Amino acid sequence: MESLQFFATSWLSPDLMLLTALGTFLGIYVGAIPGLSVTMAVSILISFTFAWDINNALCLMVGIYMGGVYGGSRTAILLNIPGAPAAIATALDGYPLAKKGMAGQAIGLSTVMSVVGGFVGIFVLAVAAPLVSDFALAFQPRDYMMLGILGIMLVGSLSGESLAKGMFAGALGMLIGTVGLDPLTAEERFTFGHVELWEGIHPVAVMIGLFGLAESLEQLHHLDKAIIKQKVSRIVPSWKDVKRFLPLSLQTSSIGVIIGALPGTGGEIAALMAYDHAKRVSKKPEVPFGQGAKEGLIAAESSNNAAVGGAFIPMLTLGIPGDAVTAVFIGALFIHGLNPGPLLLETKPDMFWFMVGTLTMANIFLLIFGLTGIKIFSKLIQCPKGILIPVIFVLSIVGAYSINNSVADIWWMLGFGVLGYFMKLYGYQVGPVILGVILSRLIDENWRRAIIAEREDLGAFFAGIFASPLSLILLSAIMLILLSKVSFIKEWVGRIARS
Amino acid sequence: MINKIKSTLAILSIAASPVFADYPEKDIQGIIQWGAGGSTDTVMRSIAPHVEDELGTDIVMINRTGGVGAIATKYVYAQKADGYTLLMGAENPQMYKVLGLGEIDYGDMVPISILARGTPIFVAQNDAPYNNMREFVEYVQQNPGEVRTGMTGNGGLTSIVLAMLDSQVKLDLTRVPYNGDGPALTALQSGTIDVMSTVLGAAIDHVRAGRMKVIGLMDNSENALVPGVEPITEDFPGLSNYLPWGPFFGVFVKQGTPEEAVIKLQDAFRKAATNEDFVNIMTNRGYTMMNLSGDEASSFLDKYKSVSSWLVYDAGYAKHSPADFDIPRPESN
Repeated sequence: MESLQFFATSWLSPDLMLLTALGTFLGIYVGAIPGLSVTMAVSILISFTFAWDINNALCLMVGIYMGGVYGGSRTAILLNIPGAPAAIATALDGYPLAKKGMAGQAIGLSTVMSVVGGFVGIFVLAVAAPLVSDFALAFQPRDYMMLGILGIMLVGSLSGESLAKGMFAGALGMLIGTVGLDPLTAEERFTFGHVELWEGIHPVAVMIGLFGLAESLEQLHHLDKAIIKQKVSRIVPSWKDVKRFLPLSLQTSSIGVIIGALPGTGGEIAALMAYDHAKRVSKKPEVPFGQGAKEGLIAAESSNNAAVGGAFIPMLTLGIPGDAVTAVFIGALFIHGLNPGPLLLETKPDMFWFMVGTLTMANIFLLIFGLTGIKIFSKLIQCPKGILIPVIFVLSIVGAYSINNSVADIWWMLGFGVLGYFMKLYGYQVGPVILGVILSRLIDENWRRAIIAEREDLGAFFAGIFASPLSLILLSAIMLILLSKVSFIKEWVGRIARS
Repeated sequence: MINKIKSTLAILSIAASPVFADYPEKDIQGIIQWGAGGSTDTVMRSIAPHVEDELGTDIVMINRTGGVGAIATKYVYAQKADGYTLLMGAENPQMYKVLGLGEIDYGDMVPISILARGTPIFVAQNDAPYNNMREFVEYVQQNPGEVRTGMTGNGGLTSIVLAMLDSQVKLDLTRVPYNGDGPALTALQSGTIDVMSTVLGAAIDHVRAGRMKVIGLMDNSENALVPGVEPITEDFPGLSNYLPWGPFFGVFVKQGTPEEAVIKLQDAFRKAATNEDFVNIMTNRGYTMMNLSGDEASSFLDKYKSVSSWLVYDAGYAKHSPADFDIPRPESN
């Protein structure tokens, strides 16, 4: 009963409600602008809200987080520029939908499914937080490595017509991901003596270039084509559609919660894995994946919002951040004189339920703000290309600069934009590149950490895998996908089955 | 004609040169070496509002991460020495020269304030068969290579603390690298590693919650936050040359900044660092308040540089000898 009272704290105070609403609204726009990250916004708020009451500050920050993760989908759908890496998977099918004149529908569907995902995340946080955080802690370096490998197999889903080209693009991405100081030994890799390259090439700069800039460069070929009229009559998805997609949304939300709760992975990996899952389980999508499949959009959007609740699980139970944003939340709680460690749940149970309550409220505001103003947004891309394309250019440059206030990132973005343009011309998909950039570090670090921990003994490494049920499940998942997807193995298995 | 322009410019530049009695007359930029949500970031963002009150101006804070703090350090060094750009950083630049990471360290800056320092401790899994450093050392000697410890990179806290221990007794540990003590402490709870050396504040809450135990205190006196844990100098008196040692947080301006600005900034930070809220936050997190400026700050910085550089050099992973930069060996007491 007491927890219900804490849960309702932010619901009973008009001030807190207003701040949550404001946060969610601002979050949607912060999230939508590529380069402006939720992490950045929340950490600026720390000093801004320093003198405030802690609850007020948290309401604003929770709103920004919830809104920001969703906001990334807006630009992903409308302009093919994911607002944040978590929205990369959204762009894959969202943008093709917009090109078909269904931007309004896509945004409507992504809003509803984001909210569903958000609720799944919050629900798991509320009822099973200690359980899930114990599970998340059970992940060893070898398990993170295998998660990364599972993710890399997505190249198969993202390659378009040619798997060979997809693999080439994925490998290029992994190469880009290795630039910078070696994460384990701090040895320089491909830095050519430049300090600016120590931290590597920022994935967001690569993303804005490959997606946004490359797309608008390609659009220059079609300046004479008529602009597609956006249908804005049906924005809120029909109940029938919601019901049909709900099972998929719940499945992908669960993936989102788990991946979000793992301290080593966040929304971007969750969304990509959920996308892959959707592709595997949707036997008959109305439109093929990559050309505007609603299933792909739903998977990406419900899982990345579910990851928000997931990320709070280890943070509120153990004081271990589930992602970069929750790390900032930990800092904020410290500054306000709380100790957000493993004792928080015992010493301040009100804080836990207050967060759950505020997240729930932010999620409801998300539904309201998400479904309003869609018409104007989808009309936006109806404006003439002569205006739209320069605007995308400027947005890309501003976005790249604001990642780290560094001009170098603008150059990277431009370079990758040109590269992406030529890749598109020659039938290479850009998806696998960004996949490689995001996952290479996860695999690189964890493989080496795992083998170093076994004193470089491969036998002990495999013994470790076979001794842990979790590792075994991951290994079998990798093997199964490999066996079911690679054509020559498939033929070979088929031949054995026939004889 | 050209001469005329030149002289006009010269006059203009004299006219435009700030009168420092009025410092600060615009917003001050604070460049944070580390990312949002990290310990440096949190410390700087919690003192800034108090400094703003003292100075009556805003401090606009920007995270400029990268190159173990070298990007921010280089950036501030490239700005005008007018007191409007502060470097808000941690201990790392003091090791740049010997590790070959950069040419600029805090010796090229004027310390405004050394706010606080951390105390290194050793934590272990609860069911580990050792409870103090003596037992730990014995166990490692009997089971070489079996104990896994987390590392946070050369020049980082773990590398220096283990080098200190190495100077007294050689231990065969399996060293698993992590990107920071946060992930490594998570790995300790996952059972990936057995032991971790870290700063007190990062582990104290996990210890209080009974998720790990403290087995050693790298200091020459007991610490109230970990009562009953003997300081390491009890077992290894030879370490007293190096201690107390710990990572620190400091605020700096470029050398050549006008005296008036430096004094105003130092005063503001000195007062802000005594603010009750700030002190509470810091002591709760297990940091020891220092609040040093001027000569005291410089001698603290020099000692840090000398101890750490020679340890790292003797352990064999420095790129350059500290002697090349006239860094003296730490004196024995």
